[in-house]
Amino acid sequence: MKSRHFSMDALGDAIARLPDDRLTAIRNAAFAHLREHGLPTKRDEDWKYTDLAPLVDIGNQWLDLGDDVTPQADSSDVSDPIQKSIDADWLLISNGQVDANSIAALAQDGVTVELLSKHDSTANFSAPLTDLNSALLRDGLRITVDANHSIKRPIGILVVDIAATAASLSQIRADVIVGANSTLDLIEYHASSGEGEHYANSVINLTLEDNARANWVRIQDRDRAHNQTGRTAVTLGRDSQFHHCAFDFGGRLIRNDLAVDIAEPGSAAVFDGLYLAGEDQHIDNHTRVDHRVGPATSQQEYRGVLTANARCVWNGKAIVHEGADGTDAEQANHNLLLSDKAEIDAKPELEIYTDDVKCSHGTTVGQLDETSLFYLRTRGIDIVGAKQILTTAFAQTIVSKLPVESPRESLAELVSARLSRMLEAVVK
Amino acid sequence: MSTDPDNIDSIVNRRYEHGFVTDIATDTMPPGLDENVVRAISARKKEPEFLLEWRLRAYRQWREMQEPDWAHVHYPPIDFEAISYYAAPKSDDERPKSLEEVDPKLLETYDKLGIPLHERARLAGVAVDAVFDSVSVATTFKERLSEAGVIFCPFSEAVTNHPELVQKYLGSVVPQRDNFYAALNSAVFSEGSFVYIPKGVRCPMELSTYFRINAANTGQFERTLIIADEGSHVSYLEGCTAPMRDENQLHAAVVELVALKDAEIKYSTVQNWYPGDENGVGGIYNFVTKRGDCRGANSKISWTQVETGSAITWKYPSCLLRGDNSVGEFYSVAVANNYQQADTGTKMIHIGRNTSSTIVSKGISAGNAQNAYRGLVRVMPQADGARNHTQCDSLLIGKNCGAHTFPYMEIKNPGARVEHEATTSKISADQLFYCRQRGISEEDAVNMIVNGFCKEVFKELPMEFAVEAQALLNVSLEGAVG
Repeated sequence: MKSRHFSMDALGDAIARLPDDRLTAIRNAAFAHLREHGLPTKRDEDWKYTDLAPLVDIGNQWLDLGDDVTPQADSSDVSDPIQKSIDADWLLISNGQVDANSIAALAQDGVTVELLSKHDSTANFSAPLTDLNSALLRDGLRITVDANHSIKRPIGILVVDIAATAASLSQIRADVIVGANSTLDLIEYHASSGEGEHYANSVINLTLEDNARANWVRIQDRDRAHNQTGRTAVTLGRDSQFHHCAFDFGGRLIRNDLAVDIAEPGSAAVFDGLYLAGEDQHIDNHTRVDHRVGPATSQQEYRGVLTANARCVWNGKAIVHEGADGTDAEQANHNLLLSDKAEIDAKPELEIYTDDVKCSHGTTVGQLDETSLFYLRTRGIDIVGAKQILTTAFAQTIVSKLPVESPRESLAELVSARLSRMLEAVVK
Repeated sequence: MSTDPDNIDSIVNRRYEHGFVTDIATDTMPPGLDENVVRAISARKKEPEFLLEWRLRAYRQWREMQEPDWAHVHYPPIDFEAISYYAAPKSDDERPKSLEEVDPKLLETYDKLGIPLHERARLAGVAVDAVFDSVSVATTFKERLSEAGVIFCPFSEAVTNHPELVQKYLGSVVPQRDNFYAALNSAVFSEGSFVYIPKGVRCPMELSTYFRINAANTGQFERTLIIADEGSHVSYLEGCTAPMRDENQLHAAVVELVALKDAEIKYSTVQNWYPGDENGVGGIYNFVTKRGDCRGANSKISWTQVETGSAITWKYPSCLLRGDNSVGEFYSVAVANNYQQADTGTKMIHIGRNTSSTIVSKGISAGNAQNAYRGLVRVMPQADGARNHTQCDSLLIGKNCGAHTFPYMEIKNPGARVEHEATTSKISADQLFYCRQRGISEEDAVNMIVNGFCKEVFKELPMEFAVEAQALLNVSLEGAVG
C-alpha cells in the first residue's frame, strides 16, 4: 500500500540531522508549512493526471533507512558522454550536495557562484514540492551575474544522482540572478544511475533584472527507473528576455513545472519543450505564465513522441491579469502517439481578464502521415527508416529552436538515438 | 481606436426587454425538500410505482452528494430548503384541448415575448409544446405528428401512455447520480418533453418547446427525453425567456438524447433567461445537464446553442460516441454581459470506431462578465480512427470582462487525430476602421463583426431560430466598441 503522506516524524528527524546553518530557519518554516498543507493528490486539479504516491513511498523508504547522508559523487564518477561533449563551465550537484570544487573552479568575470547557505534566504511557500525541497535542503547554488555583463561561456549545472541504497531522495536548488543589461546562457543537465529507487526534487528560482537576458536549456536524461519533480520559477524584469528549452528523455515519473511571472512591461518569454517517452514512462509538463502587465509576449511550443505504454501530460496555462493590455500569448502542443497503449492528456488553458490581448493556443494529437510514409517507402526506404525520418523531423523542430549553441549537436544526436530505440520497439 | 464610454454605458444600462410577471394564481408546494415532497410530486402527477422508486433513489443519492465547486463561477450558496419544488398553473385539472381554451393571459405572455403561438406555429410549420411553469398547456400539430407515428408530448403524458419507453430510456444517458444537479432533477422533475421517433421516420416538422419560469421562488426542473429509433431523423428546438425577478431562480434541467442505429438528432437551443440587472442582482442560475448517446452505428447528434441569458450558466451538452462511425457536433455562441457568468462547453467521448466530433465554440464577454469554455475530448483505447476538431474563439468587449478556456484532451488511441485551436481577441481597430470608412455606424459595424464572428454557429440553427439569435445578440451587444 503506497502512502499519500510522508511520515512526518521521521521527516522531522531527518531535518534535525541536517547541519545548523543559515538555511535552518527556512527548513523549519517549510517543514511546518508542509506539515500543515501536505502534498497534492490527484484530487487537486493541477495533479489530476500525475500521482505522487510512488514518490512519497520512496521518500518514506528512505526515511526508514535513517541514513540521509548518501555518498557524494565527484565529477570523475560522471561518465555521461553527452554531457561531456557539451561545452560549458560545469557546476556539480550530486545526491543533493553541491561540489565545492566545481564552484572554486568556475572563474568567469562578472559571475559569482556561492553556496546558498552563505546568504539568508526567505521561505517561499508557492508550491508544496518547494516546501519539501526547502525542508530537506542540504545546500544549494546561488549564481549571480553582475549588471552590464555578458557571460563568455555557458554555465552548466550538472545534477548527478547515484542511487546506491535501496531508496534515496535528493533535493536540488539553485537561485540565479541575472543583473540588468546582462546575458546568461545556462545548461541544466540531470542524470542518474544506480540500482536503488530514487526521487530527485529540484527547485530553480531565476530572476531577470531590467533588460537582462537568459537562455536556459534543461536536459533530463535520468535512469529509466528514477523519478524527478522539478519546479522552475522565473521573474522577469522590464524589457527582459527569457528563452527556455526543455528536453525530457529519461526517468520513470517526471513532473516539470515552469512558472513565469511577468510583472514588468516589455518582456518576452519563449519556452519550448520536447518529451520522448517510452515503456513505463510518465512525463508531465505544466507551464504557467502570469501576464500581470503589458505589453509583453509569451510563446510556447511543446512536442512529444510517445511509444509503448508511455503517458504524457501537458498543461499550459496563460493568465492575463486585469490591466495587462498589449499581451500576446501563444501556446502550442503537438503529440505523436505511436502505440496502442500510449496516452496523452493535454490541456491548454487561457484565463483572460482584459480585452486588449492576442492569445491563441493550438494542440494536436495524431500519428505519422500515411502519405508521407508512402512517399518515403516508394523511395526505397524501409518502414523503420521512413518513420525515423518523419519522427526525427518532428522532434528536431524543438532542437532547432535552441537558444544556446553548445549543446545543439549533442542534443540532435541524443534525440535521434533515443527515437530510433523507441521506433525499433514500435516496429517489433 | 477610442472607446466611447457613453456607448458602453448604454449597453450596460440596457434593460431586460422580456421582464414582466404574468399574474396567474399558481398551485405551489411549500419550500423545502424531503422524501415526502418527492412522494407528493409523484402522487400529484399520478405516476406509476417504478417512477416514484426511481425518484426516491435519486433523492437519496442527492442527499449524499456535494455541490460542485470546480466551475469558474461565483455565487452565494444556494439554500435548497428555501426552494419550492413544484408549481403548476391552477387550471391543471381542465387542460386545454386547443388554443382557444388556453388561458388568454398565457397567450398574452407569449405575445409579449414575441412568440405569437398560433400564428408562429402555422407560419413556421412548427409544433409547439409550450411549457408554462411546469405543466404543458398547449400542443399543436399533434395530428400530423401522430400520422407519422411520432410521439411528442409532455413528459407526464408519456409516463401514462408509454411507460415502457420511459422506463427503458429514462436515466440511461444521464444516470441519477451523474452529478449533483442531475440527481436533484431526477428526484423532483415535474415536467418536460418526451419525443420518440419510430424506425425509419423522418419527423415531418421541427419540434419546439418554449420553457418559461414564472412563479417567484420556484425552481424549475425540466426533464427532456428524445429517442430516435433506427434510421430516424428529428430536429428539436428549445428556446426560453423568463420574466424579471429579484430572487435568484434555480433551473436544473436534464436533457437526454438517444440515437439508435443510423438515427440523427439535431438539438438547438436559444436561451435568453433573465440575466440579472446591471448590478448583477437576480437572474437565473442555469445548471443544466445535457447529454446525447450515439448508441447505434452511423448515428449523429448535433447540439447547437445560443446562450445569451441567465446570471450563471453551467452547461456542457455532451456526446457519447458509442456506435461505430457515429458523429457528435457542438456549436455554441455564449454571450455574457454585465455580471453574467458562463461556464459552458462540451464533452465528446469517443468509444466506437471511426467516430468523429466537431466543436465550434464562440464566447463573447462584455461588461464585467466572465465567460469560460470548458471542454473534454476523450478518445478511449478501442476508438480506432477517432477524429476531433475543436475551434474555440473568444471575443472581449471592455476592460473588465474575462474570457477563459479550459479544454481537456485525453487521448488513449494512437489512431486518433485530435486538433484544438483557440484564439482570444477584441474587435480589432482595423476591422472597425474599415467599416466606419465605408459609412457604417460604429454600432452597426460592431454588430456586423460580432455576427460574422458567430456565423459558423448561426448557420447551424434552423432558419427562424437564426433570426431570433441574431436579434438577441444585437440587443445584448450593439454599440459595444473594443
